[in-house]
Amino acid sequence: MAGLLTEASAPGTTARERTRRSRLLRLVLARAAGSVAVLWGAVTVAFLLIQLMPGSTVDVLLARSSVTPRVRAEITAQYHLDDPLFIQYLSYLGRIARGDFGDSYVLRQPVWDAVGAQLPDTLALIAATLLVTAAGSVVLAVLGANRRRWVQSLFAGVESLVVALPPFWLGLLLLTVFSFTLHWFPTVGASGLGGLVLPTLALAAAPTAVVAQVLREGLLRALDEPFVTTARARGIGELALRVRHVLRHALLPATTLMGWIAGSLIGGSVIIEIVFSRQGVGRLVLSAVQDKDMPVVIAVVLLAATVFVVVNIVVDVLQWLIDPRTRGTGRPA
Amino acid sequence: MHSATPRTRTHRPAALAAGVTALLTTLVTACSAGGSGDGATAAGGPPRDGGTLRLAVAKEPECLDPHQSPTEAARLLSRPILDSLVHQTAKGAFEPWLAKSWTISPDGRTYTFTLRDDVAFTDGAKFDAAAVVANLNHVVAPATKSLLASSLISAYKSARAVDAHTAEVTLKQPDSGFLGALALPNLGIESPATLKGSAAALCKKIVGTGPFRTTGGLVAQKGIDYTKNPAYDWAPKSAGHTGPAHLDGIKVQIVPDNASRSGALTSGQVDAATGLDPTSTKTLAKTPGFALHKTSFPGANYSYWPNTAEGPLADVSVRKALRAGIDWSTIDQRVNFGQYPSAKGPLSTTTPGYDGSQASAYAYDPAEAARLLDAAGWTGRDAKGYRTKNGKRLRVEHLWSDPSVTNLAVQIQAAAKKLGVEFVEENVDGGTFVKRLLAGDYDIIDTSFSSPGPDVLRVLFGKENIPTPARGVSNNMARYDNPAVEQLFTQARHATDQKEQFRLYGEVQRHITDDAAVLPIYSPVSTFAARTAVQGTGFTADGSADLYSIWLAS
Repeated sequence: MAGLLTEASAPGTTARERTRRSRLLRLVLARAAGSVAVLWGAVTVAFLLIQLMPGSTVDVLLARSSVTPRVRAEITAQYHLDDPLFIQYLSYLGRIARGDFGDSYVLRQPVWDAVGAQLPDTLALIAATLLVTAAGSVVLAVLGANRRRWVQSLFAGVESLVVALPPFWLGLLLLTVFSFTLHWFPTVGASGLGGLVLPTLALAAAPTAVVAQVLREGLLRALDEPFVTTARARGIGELALRVRHVLRHALLPATTLMGWIAGSLIGGSVIIEIVFSRQGVGRLVLSAVQDKDMPVVIAVVLLAATVFVVVNIVVDVLQWLIDPRTRGTGRPA
Repeated sequence: MHSATPRTRTHRPAALAAGVTALLTTLVTACSAGGSGDGATAAGGPPRDGGTLRLAVAKEPECLDPHQSPTEAARLLSRPILDSLVHQTAKGAFEPWLAKSWTISPDGRTYTFTLRDDVAFTDGAKFDAAAVVANLNHVVAPATKSLLASSLISAYKSARAVDAHTAEVTLKQPDSGFLGALALPNLGIESPATLKGSAAALCKKIVGTGPFRTTGGLVAQKGIDYTKNPAYDWAPKSAGHTGPAHLDGIKVQIVPDNASRSGALTSGQVDAATGLDPTSTKTLAKTPGFALHKTSFPGANYSYWPNTAEGPLADVSVRKALRAGIDWSTIDQRVNFGQYPSAKGPLSTTTPGYDGSQASAYAYDPAEAARLLDAAGWTGRDAKGYRTKNGKRLRVEHLWSDPSVTNLAVQIQAAAKKLGVEFVEENVDGGTFVKRLLAGDYDIIDTSFSSPGPDVLRVLFGKENIPTPARGVSNNMARYDNPAVEQLFTQARHATDQKEQFRLYGEVQRHITDDAAVLPIYSPVSTFAARTAVQGTGFTADGSADLYSIWLAS
């Protein structure tokens, strides 16, 4: 879609161009500053929620077994679980600001090691899912944006069905057909692209269907705009009209939606990681929450919030590029 | 769905409970259902060397080092790497392993082990008395933060190397469970050099004297690869063969989802899978080309543990009425598709020291139950049909150990209603669970407790194991306190003769049955489902799959 996003104006650094650049920079800086507040809020809420969970952390940590009071004291002291809450909170903030997430209570290793070991697989899954969602929804939207009612209904019907499918069920269905029966893709211990196909499809199915619907609605609305008549009058082909002119109008809401989806995929990947026995942050955080493994939970919350924030900045910039109307104030609508 | 394994899930307390006792390492004969993959004879040939076993397991340990981790997963995955000082057979007897022989002082407090002098760790280090001392001290060191191993040898005081191949262990007090504890993977002997490293490093990789070694160690959420130790020549006698393992290696993959694990097996992507649920095992047992190997976990059955100290179940008549008035066995057969044997006593029948003489006390007898409740004064009936006494409804709060108990709990609740007893089902978070467990604020808690010896009875019914805020989580969830039984526990602890020990624990089982201190439901089953070419399967005494003797016919 690169061609779509580049400006049609003549090249060269005009004064207008410079203003545009500085506005874009201001936009990014303002968003980044706001992000710090969002991240601080995320850490604080995570910390408080964990404190609100019933039972003391040391009890939950030790719940697996009866240990001597000496071991209990050792664990309490090591994790400073006996400090006043506010002190625990401040020392957390301080350490997190320095990038030190401490050791996992349960896994007995530095949090970054635990998260870092799982992160690449989750990022690969999320990136693949976003790519498939973007490409798939554009194709579906363009194909389905047909004036004939039954075509629209057919696409909308299938998409609604896909949205309604629970991802774990879809995952198992894909596994049964393509792995257990047809042996096209491996089930377990799969690394590389082959292992990514089925999980990506299972995770991308619902977002693709939703984005395609939003996109198609935008397409259909844009097709009623006067500029379409003008373009047609100039003899443009139907596909070129849709891809080059109409799609651009429909992209705004879909981009916003994609931003939200990208942020939610870390959570959404949990069930897919379990069904497909994939390594990943989702499984890590699931067990960390059950264990009240605070350092891991906070690190993953911060990670998810960071992904969310970065994606939102990207979305803002994309909107700025897609829609000239959002550039006037330097603040996208 | 009920998992086939005992509830050693890492984080719910009762689950936790499920690991805390002496699990002995023995070869329990595997009973095979279906298929023809039942021992070497079925394949009609001698064991064949070579090949890599691809095994899918449900759970991964949070830490591979069994000195640190209490989980069943850590026991399964560390056993191929670690040998123990002693080995325990299916019947509960002890035999030499890394220790050639041992003597116990008359006061039961000093154990002297004569060690093999031909054993080496896979990192090249020699196995000697200093290694034994280093391992025991590592287990009890506060820095190890052992969640099970150190409490298994709570009687341990000190150890010293008398000479290169003689180690002497001194206990604070006699403990007849000490050898059983030593036989577990949790007290497995690791290379002393590795014990000086960080706890985190040991969680990923351990080095022992066992039939297998690992180079890459445990990879979180992925699995672990083993290669055979070609120098291995010190298997315990009951292992069935000696020398190096038949397999060149084992590739263990963590596959948490039951359907995926089962599908991976039937589609040939793995050779074997553990921990399949009853629906899958039932299907697999009938599938040509596959064999289901299984054994009941030794230890306490999956049971409802009544609060015998407080509330309506403090009355023994009400407990007996629940035992007789609910058709536990039919409910078990229905919910678990006939895959788990119904329980007739506190211990499963595969537990060494199990006393079967009381089985008839666990029969279904609704008439007797009604009579008991009438006699206990619960004669009234309220609008909903529940029994009342002085206007108060007979109401029992059941605290769930795990959300997976749903199907069973609902059926039991319905059966109790027929009896006129209201079961209130409470699925609470881990923190609340611990709080209420410690406060005794419950009428019933459910859990099983795997352990290969009768010593588990002390863990589950001993007065010193009643959970309280001061003591912390402990495993006498029935809050049972019987002086006669305490007396028997003390005698059993001091018994140096195993026969005498089993006799004493038999008496304990009779007391527990008389007092209806537990409502047993079924014996959890350890399963090892494999294609029929996977031969030489078996189970260790704690119910884990034994991987040493396995060979691949094709």
